[in-house]
Amino acid sequence: MAIKSRQSNDSGRATPGRTLLICGVLLFLLAVIFVIASVVGSQRLPLSASLCALTGKSNCGLSPEQQAILFDLRIPRILLAGAVGSCLAAAGAGYQALLRNPLAEPYLLGISNGAAVGTMTALVFFGAHEWSRPVMAFAGALLATLVVYRLARGRAGATPERLILAGVIVTTFLSSGIVFITTMMDATRIRSFTFWLLGDLSGTTSSLLTIGLAAAGIGVGILALNARSLNLMMLGERDAFDLGVEVGRVRLTVFIAASLLVGASVASSGSVGYVGLVVPHLVRLSFGSDNRVVIVASALAGAAFVIVADTVARTIIAPRELPVGAITALIGAPLFIYLLKRG
Amino acid sequence: MLEAKNITVNYGPREAVADVSLRANPSEIIAIIGPNGAGKSTLLRTLNSSLRATRGEVLLDGKPLQSLARRAIARRIAVVAQEADMRFPVTVMEFVLGGRYAWSSAWGWESDRDVEIARGILGETELESFEARLMSELSGGERQRAVLARALATEAKVLLLDEPTANLDLAHQATMLRLVRGRCDKRQSAAVVVTHDVNLAAEFSDRVLLLKNGREIAAGTPREVFDPELLRAVFGLEVLVDAHPITGAPRITPVYVMSGKL
Repeated sequence: MAIKSRQSNDSGRATPGRTLLICGVLLFLLAVIFVIASVVGSQRLPLSASLCALTGKSNCGLSPEQQAILFDLRIPRILLAGAVGSCLAAAGAGYQALLRNPLAEPYLLGISNGAAVGTMTALVFFGAHEWSRPVMAFAGALLATLVVYRLARGRAGATPERLILAGVIVTTFLSSGIVFITTMMDATRIRSFTFWLLGDLSGTTSSLLTIGLAAAGIGVGILALNARSLNLMMLGERDAFDLGVEVGRVRLTVFIAASLLVGASVASSGSVGYVGLVVPHLVRLSFGSDNRVVIVASALAGAAFVIVADTVARTIIAPRELPVGAITALIGAPLFIYLLKRG
Repeated sequence: MLEAKNITVNYGPREAVADVSLRANPSEIIAIIGPNGAGKSTLLRTLNSSLRATRGEVLLDGKPLQSLARRAIARRIAVVAQEADMRFPVTVMEFVLGGRYAWSSAWGWESDRDVEIARGILGETELESFEARLMSELSGGERQRAVLARALATEAKVLLLDEPTANLDLAHQATMLRLVRGRCDKRQSAAVVVTHDVNLAAEFSDRVLLLKNGREIAAGTPREVFDPELLRAVFGLEVLVDAHPITGAPRITPVYVMSGKL
């Protein structure tokens, strides 16, 4: 499945018009998935009545119980899944450009673990302040990013071997931190933590949702504004510098934006893995490598991907639930192996 | 146009380049030659300030490079370096449009003029039929031409080339330098070329700078610099220098046999 050249006279080159078209199509797809995900579940809701209720009308024929399921449980959770998917997919695209390697992914690099250590520290030491979790998660992600970048980057960018080794080292180091913090918790909380570590969207609160959506908007926006510079940097930082890119400034900006995205998503839903690998890969395969398309399209497709994965996670063995991270890993890990073998 | 004055570059205590000066004039190609580790590439990298000189300064149209913004430098000095890595599927057109980065907004899109210029360059470098192909699908020679095309797309007045013909076959080597020569003649650009190929340097350059251990050994026209005594002293190898039967440029032939056995 080698990536074939894209044809036609304009050679599939990214233009504002083409990008808008792609985003439009993805938005439409996202809307369809949103509706389907909101009616499907351990309790199925009637489609037409739910659609009616979603447009804001009352008297749609939903029982009060169904109304509550739709608006208080499903929709916040779907929105959070969307925000988390956007965050992780866009962050993945950002890390890939920065490390010049399509295998870079926040979970595999240990950056999600950095955010997890930050979140857990906040929970244990500043449990009362809900805002401390995303802030500490952001700090943890940023720190892990800097360490991984230092370890992974050789003169010719990050080779796959170096990248994976750096990720393993950071992940295992931070895992010991996670274990250490876990031992300081009481036994009843440990089970919910194990779920959360694997990526779990069931613990949605309105402030986490606000933070997630805001971070997705801000982070994706910042990455998108640096997309043209990243186009050059992903082919070599020295060349990018020669062509006029202020490499140091762009690198720092992208580090911060990507860490913000990972921090916000981990603080609300733990480490959902492989989203940042699978989504940008499929986006590049379909629309090419121009980051002005890849980042925004990944954000939209990432939202759709995690909403679908979470819908599967909460329906496949209903009324019990799987952590969403288990579903994304089930899809992501084989793809990773395939990409690695292809070289 | 571009003038380097008494450049010294230190790597730790070691002087990689020691007190070298160089001046690139319009329509001129300058070749920098010398043995491995002579400081050729190091000197080249200081010429667009991607490497800071320890002492000395580089002037672009009379202004020190340090006083100019990154984008302003990139609009006037382009670099052709060794191959970029191609882990991402990028088309030739996308790659060459990268050369227009410094001309349009850093976060936006290329203008129609940018695309027009890139198309023109693709024609000039005989890559127009490759426009939609992926860089990773090109042969070494085609890819190196695309790297040159990106540099030409910047429309910079000064070209810096770091071993542009390494790993290329004879025909592609000649094509590369013919394209550089053409740009210099047509647009009064200047080119500084680091190369190991003394015969290409003799054929295509107007002036030659010969370095060893970071120091200038000789500078002048190819005829002045390609002197058998001088080359033997610098490279530690017996060479024969005569005139190319067609072009009249100096022709350098290494003598691989031990001198005692001749």
